[in-house]
Amino acid sequence: MQRFKGWFGGGAVLCLVAGGYTGLLTSPPDYYQGEIVRIMYVHVPLAHTALFSYSVLFGGSLWYLWKHEPFIDNMCHAAAGISALFTLLALITGSIWAKPTWNTWWTWDPRLVSFAVLLLILGGYLMLRTFLIDDPEKEGRYAAVVAIVGFIDLPIVHFSVEWWRTLHQPQSISSRGVAISDDLLLPLTLMSIGFTLLFVYMLIIRTQLLYLTSLLHAKKGRLLSQVHLSQAGS
Amino acid sequence: MTWFYVRWLGLFILSMVFVFLVDQRYTHTLKTIPLKTVRTQPASQTPVRVMGMVSSGSLQGNLGEGQAAFELVDGADTLSVLYNGLPPENLRELKTVVMIGQWDPAAQVFHAHEMGLVPHFGFVVSAYAVAFLPIMVIIFFMGRKVMLLFQEIKQSKLYEPEAPSHVDNG
Repeated sequence: MQRFKGWFGGGAVLCLVAGGYTGLLTSPPDYYQGEIVRIMYVHVPLAHTALFSYSVLFGGSLWYLWKHEPFIDNMCHAAAGISALFTLLALITGSIWAKPTWNTWWTWDPRLVSFAVLLLILGGYLMLRTFLIDDPEKEGRYAAVVAIVGFIDLPIVHFSVEWWRTLHQPQSISSRGVAISDDLLLPLTLMSIGFTLLFVYMLIIRTQLLYLTSLLHAKKGRLLSQVHLSQAGS
Repeated sequence: MTWFYVRWLGLFILSMVFVFLVDQRYTHTLKTIPLKTVRTQPASQTPVRVMGMVSSGSLQGNLGEGQAAFELVDGADTLSVLYNGLPPENLRELKTVVMIGQWDPAAQVFHAHEMGLVPHFGFVVSAYAVAFLPIMVIIFFMGRKVMLLFQEIKQSKLYEPEAPSHVDNG
């Protein structure tokens, strides 16, 4: 994965530049929303990537509980942080979009609330990993259980617009077909691919960062204990 | 580390070019002119965009045939507008609208032929800034930290195998 990092980063930049260009400069405004529709090209891909990154966290947590590989635990830890970032940004951009269209920054809509709950779950996961447990193996196991239990929120987020009467618009792209014009679909697709590639790129860097940090701590700790033990022995 | 900073400089320049292009588009196709400024302009065939609220009780004409006359208000400024174009769907009193057309200084009337929606471009710019700036800053610092950790590990030779411990546990 590490050796493909540059390809993911480069691909993300290309897709985001192309998506940003078509989204902001060449695609037409929406008939009803006007220019405001351009927020969709960042809000929807951010939300998709947030859900995708939580799915990666869920899959990784299952894998960790099965195989107990420290690398997977690192990857899950990294995915959780990035997922929290994407979830937060999706909520903020959604709020910015809501103000001119719904005339409010926030409303207690099922889609918004379930998405905010996802952010709280991720916050809890990260707090568990940062403050609560000292034993790394126990920490990884407990965190994996939290991530798996928290996955129950994902179908709620996804289907909330169909299960309840909601202000949030339903999916434009679903199994029933594509309810969006090609002019708007192109930048949306490019941005979605771009943000997904960016997530993978960030995941690689952050996993690497967590691995190197733990390696450095472990090595330094061992060296220090060796010095301590040799001093105690002499 | 040099290559790392060069790459980020390239990204920064690319972003600035993008911001410039977006600003140009906004200035040329979306920016509206204040009513006060329009009233002082000489006659011109170049269409301009004005934004204001349709004054209460001023809307007259046959909207179904695309003809209307009304007063546009923006604070203390007022502009008489004669609209002649496609039947407007969203034209009603007390609604803020964008009208596209030419100012006739002799008749002191703004001849509008098209109606636009309020651009709200500030929201769009804010959403893009919120989406990209934190991500770019975080990636920059994460990438930098990884490079520094690599350097630290290399300099302190922590990658070398450790010498076996000679502590007698018995």
